[in-house]
Amino acid sequence: MFLLPLLAILIGVEFFLVFNRVTQDSEEKLRESYSILVVSEKPMSIKDFEQIDAHINKSIPIKKEQIAKEIAKGMRNTTDQEILNALPHFYNLYLDRYLSKEGVDKIKKKIMATNGIKRVETFGKNHHAKYSLFLFLKFVFWSFVSLMSLVSIFLVIKQMEVWQMAHQERMQVMEIFGAPMLLRSGVLFRMGIVDALLAIIITTAIFIYLRYDYAPNCDIELLVNQQSLLFRFQDIAILSMSAFTIVIMAVLMVTFKNRGSRE
Amino acid sequence: MGNIITASKMTLAYDNGRKEIIKSASFSIRKGEFVFITGPSGSGKSTLLKSFYGALAPKEGRLSVGGLDMTQISQKKLLELRTNMGIIFQDYKLINEWTVEKNVVLPLIIGGYGIDIQQTQAKKLLRHVKLSEQAERYPLELSGGEQQRVGVARALSKNPFLILADEPTGNLDDYSSNVIWDLLENACNQLGSTLVVVTHRIPTIFNLSYRHFIIENKGIYEVR
Repeated sequence: MFLLPLLAILIGVEFFLVFNRVTQDSEEKLRESYSILVVSEKPMSIKDFEQIDAHINKSIPIKKEQIAKEIAKGMRNTTDQEILNALPHFYNLYLDRYLSKEGVDKIKKKIMATNGIKRVETFGKNHHAKYSLFLFLKFVFWSFVSLMSLVSIFLVIKQMEVWQMAHQERMQVMEIFGAPMLLRSGVLFRMGIVDALLAIIITTAIFIYLRYDYAPNCDIELLVNQQSLLFRFQDIAILSMSAFTIVIMAVLMVTFKNRGSRE
Repeated sequence: MGNIITASKMTLAYDNGRKEIIKSASFSIRKGEFVFITGPSGSGKSTLLKSFYGALAPKEGRLSVGGLDMTQISQKKLLELRTNMGIIFQDYKLINEWTVEKNVVLPLIIGGYGIDIQQTQAKKLLRHVKLSEQAERYPLELSGGEQQRVGVARALSKNPFLILADEPTGNLDDYSSNVIWDLLENACNQLGSTLVVVTHRIPTIFNLSYRHFIIENKGIYEVR
């Protein structure tokens, strides 16, 4: 049965697709929620910031009025306007992607080196903690996928050996009597394709169940919020391509190995 | 009559040409002939037969089978040639997962013949080799003699122009051997096929009218 290794591979492939979507989504959310605070003596535009570092892709000026009002409350002889005039300019800078701590520190240094910049706050500690967790999760997932791939490859090789043993004699006899390769490997192709179809259907069913039945009703917030990432119908194309490629390659390898070489 | 097999200064060798088995042999076999090739064990009888169905290409010289140059034959042409040959092996080489009937019609399956033709031919051949009752059984359920009769029926199923038999009675008792020899002789006479039999000794039931080659010291000589 080629079904078991194929199933293991397809579930691995689907996990990979799901995790890729989840990490991309998480990265996007982290990126959107992260900003660097810059205090500048002079007004600055997004172009000025882009010139400092290409990773800066958005700058939002922080309104000073509210800050001036708060300060004026504690002062007797100073008006809001006077405080407003004395305050520097505040900006929240957003980046094009979620960078490592070193990347953020590099940008901070570049901004600090610019004329008129008084202060830069990267909230490095918080950023670093989130980034490390993100990297750790990625590492755990990749280790899992690598292990699963290794086990699956091992299972495929074992199955090919079983095929080799079971069909060697028949294929060699057929070749002696002039059967072309496709006819010799026809039985294997039929078995492989049936197993591939079954594996695709089972994997699809598992992930459709997870997305439409399990995730909406479970108490895990992450799954409830990200159920749309659990399965997409275009995944069926990727699963089919993977399954059929593996089957065709395995059958061809067994057929070539069973070929009575012309000495 | 034209030649079906022609060898000219042909050398056959294994191990990338290092181990020579047949050296500079020249002979020819004509259409419709029944030919015996004998020789002691390890003399190269099976190797010679292998070269006839293209499992071994000559190291030197020329070999032509059915008008095709076996030194330069493409894989496609080789498979085509084999579909028009009948080959019989000492160890039968039947497909054990297939029924007797399906084994018999293997050359017809390969040739893409319809199921009706396959069934008609299988019935005829199984009746001919007296195995009609065993059509739905599997090779391992049969005796050695019966398995070889299935092998003979398979070799005859597509009316081949050339039948190659490698020690066809090597594993059989005298009675079964005689049945096989009868079948082969009849096939040669009735179908007009060329029959090349490799065996360590010629059975006593045959008269000496058939051509006989002997392999000795890497050479092939005709016994007259």
